[in-house]
Amino acid sequence: MSAADQPVNQNAAPVRVERVFQRFTLGQRWEHLILILSFTVLFLTGIPQKYRSTEWSQWLLSTPQRVYLVRQIHHIAALLLTAGAIYHLGNALVLLARRRLSSDMFPTLQDVRDAWQMLRYLLFLTREKPAFDKYNFEQKFTYWFLFFGLGIMVISGFILWFPEVVTRFLPGGVVPAAFLAHSNEAVIAAIFIVVWHFFHVHFQRLNLSMFTGKLSEEEMRLYHANEFERLTGEKADLNETKGGSQ
Amino acid sequence: MLRRKIGLFALLAGCLAVAIGVWAFIAPSVPAAPFVQGTPTPETAAEAENPTRTPIPNLSISDEYCLGCHGQPGQTFTLENGEPLDLYVPAELHQSSVHGRLGYACVQCHTDVGEYPHPPFKAADRRDVTLQLNAACQRCHSHQFELAQDSVHADAQLAGEREAAVCVDCHTAHEVRRLNDPQTHQLLPDAHTWIPERCALCHNAIYQKYKESVHGAALSQGNLDVPTCIDCHGVHNIEDPRTTYFRLRSPSICAKCHTNPEIMNKYGLSTQVLDTYVADFHGTTTVIFEKQAPDAAINTPVCYDCHGIHDISKTTDPKTGLQMRSNLLARCQECHPDANANFPAAWMSHYIPSRERYSIVYYVDLFYKIFIPLTLGGMGALVLMDITRTLLNRRRKRAAQTAEEAVEAGQPALVEQVRPAPADPTETAETSGTAAQPEAKPQVDLSAEELQVEETSAPASTEDMTTSAPENPTDKEMDASVDSEAKNG
Repeated sequence: MSAADQPVNQNAAPVRVERVFQRFTLGQRWEHLILILSFTVLFLTGIPQKYRSTEWSQWLLSTPQRVYLVRQIHHIAALLLTAGAIYHLGNALVLLARRRLSSDMFPTLQDVRDAWQMLRYLLFLTREKPAFDKYNFEQKFTYWFLFFGLGIMVISGFILWFPEVVTRFLPGGVVPAAFLAHSNEAVIAAIFIVVWHFFHVHFQRLNLSMFTGKLSEEEMRLYHANEFERLTGEKADLNETKGGSQ
Repeated sequence: MLRRKIGLFALLAGCLAVAIGVWAFIAPSVPAAPFVQGTPTPETAAEAENPTRTPIPNLSISDEYCLGCHGQPGQTFTLENGEPLDLYVPAELHQSSVHGRLGYACVQCHTDVGEYPHPPFKAADRRDVTLQLNAACQRCHSHQFELAQDSVHADAQLAGEREAAVCVDCHTAHEVRRLNDPQTHQLLPDAHTWIPERCALCHNAIYQKYKESVHGAALSQGNLDVPTCIDCHGVHNIEDPRTTYFRLRSPSICAKCHTNPEIMNKYGLSTQVLDTYVADFHGTTTVIFEKQAPDAAINTPVCYDCHGIHDISKTTDPKTGLQMRSNLLARCQECHPDANANFPAAWMSHYIPSRERYSIVYYVDLFYKIFIPLTLGGMGALVLMDITRTLLNRRRKRAAQTAEEAVEAGQPALVEQVRPAPADPTETAETSGTAAQPEAKPQVDLSAEELQVEETSAPASTEDMTTSAPENPTDKEMDASVDSEAKNG
């Protein structure tokens, strides 16, 4: 923020002022790291349990002791993920109570318009990409998809872990239903991460802001034009005649 | 010399003549019968051709000869422990047996006692007599005898359990029955009921349970579809059912009949009981460890843990049937002590989820069947479109750049003015700017009209922007312009 307050010296052409913009707090980055760690462990220990009929799974889980061990690891990672999720929700609730919860991540009608324009852009119906605020529709979609996906995984996972406790309050049918949901949602989440998330943060452009916490001015202008303009009061598009000459 | 040779030859010839004479005299009463009364089993044929085992039965001794003494009741032999051994063998007992009807003689089993007086016989007690004489079966039925050596009974014998069953305990000594149809090798109808009764001689408690079970009750009504003891436990090489391996493979024993539509359709029973069991994780674990680690002690249930071992009842049985939730709950609680009344429904009772049954499972399944292809397909399509557009943009820009170099349009000068570092535009274009950058360059190709349209749709000026609300100024601008256009229109 402090960097954004500095005036840009536009007349001194050879001097290039490199501004960086804070995107994620340290806490958010830790949350993401914990998510990566627990998600990976859960994936690696869950997939052999799901595809039990395959050779490699039977080779890996060839004795009851190994099944037990893998399940223990799965449960420990699940606790880590659950702790992360509880922290995330708790933090949001605390911020909400203090009326300081940022509305950046909540989907708006503008996201639908952006998505529509993006679709038109991808279909060559327009030359213009939508300009985004702090989180674009794709990033919001990623967040909320995983938000609900992990919600399903956590809830169904605990139903499977403690079926006797759960059936004290719920009908028994929730257990096989949770089994199916856990099994299917895991595959969706894994493919989602690889196809959607990895594509957007690794292939489309290498976006390491979740680890560094920062975005460069260049990235801000290009990918978060609205946010950039909101923060700096400058035009994001350097090619615009008006913005450039100001 | 020559005379001595002739004498020796005459002596041998005389002996042979006497032997033939004696044989011709006795023959009608003893052999040949097997070849007249029925087709000999492979074992008997092999035995007839290959009488190499010792001692060779002395076929010159007829059953009448034996029965001359043993046909009289009241004869006993005192064993070493003082027990009397009854030596009486009723003639009709042997004659009505499968051996008697095929014409086998006493001495074909009792090979060493043809002559009287008998060679000395010593036995500690009556069980010892049985165990000693049981070896005779091996002479003809070597295959079955060897199979039996692999059985839990033989193991028990080796461990010193003398009461463990040997051949004659099940088949009897003198009234051996025909159990198979010699043509089809199928169990004869009366053997179905006879076999459990034989097992019951030792395993009576289990037999009583079996008799009350759905299988045993049907058997007593003459139903031959139901399994008897040997259908699950095997015939001669009866294995120990207390091993983990038996437990692991037990579902496949039940499945032999319960996945066979020919049998199950008669009773309206599902043939998908194995599939549905395997689909559930209890069953998955069981069948995998059956293959992977037969000695693994698993804690997942197999068929008999719920349905009972010998006292298997109909699931609809009002007293013991598993469709009574309380009965199933009791089974669940053996492994899940904290389970309550809702818990048994967690197991889908071999049903395949449908709208009517386990609808929640059915709808979760349906949801994912739609949701997975929809999301993944949509995501995949968007990603592919994104890649396509990016690649095409890159190609266009390259084309535009070459064109620029040739024409030297005025436009790029502006770009360079704003971005002081000369290397900057190429850098951004390579690393990240590929998607957004083209808008600047293709403008060269654009017609004047298009340019104007873009300018109006974009925010009109920076002054407007800074004064307007910070959130989504473009959005509001656009809305406003659209609205005004609509009103004007």
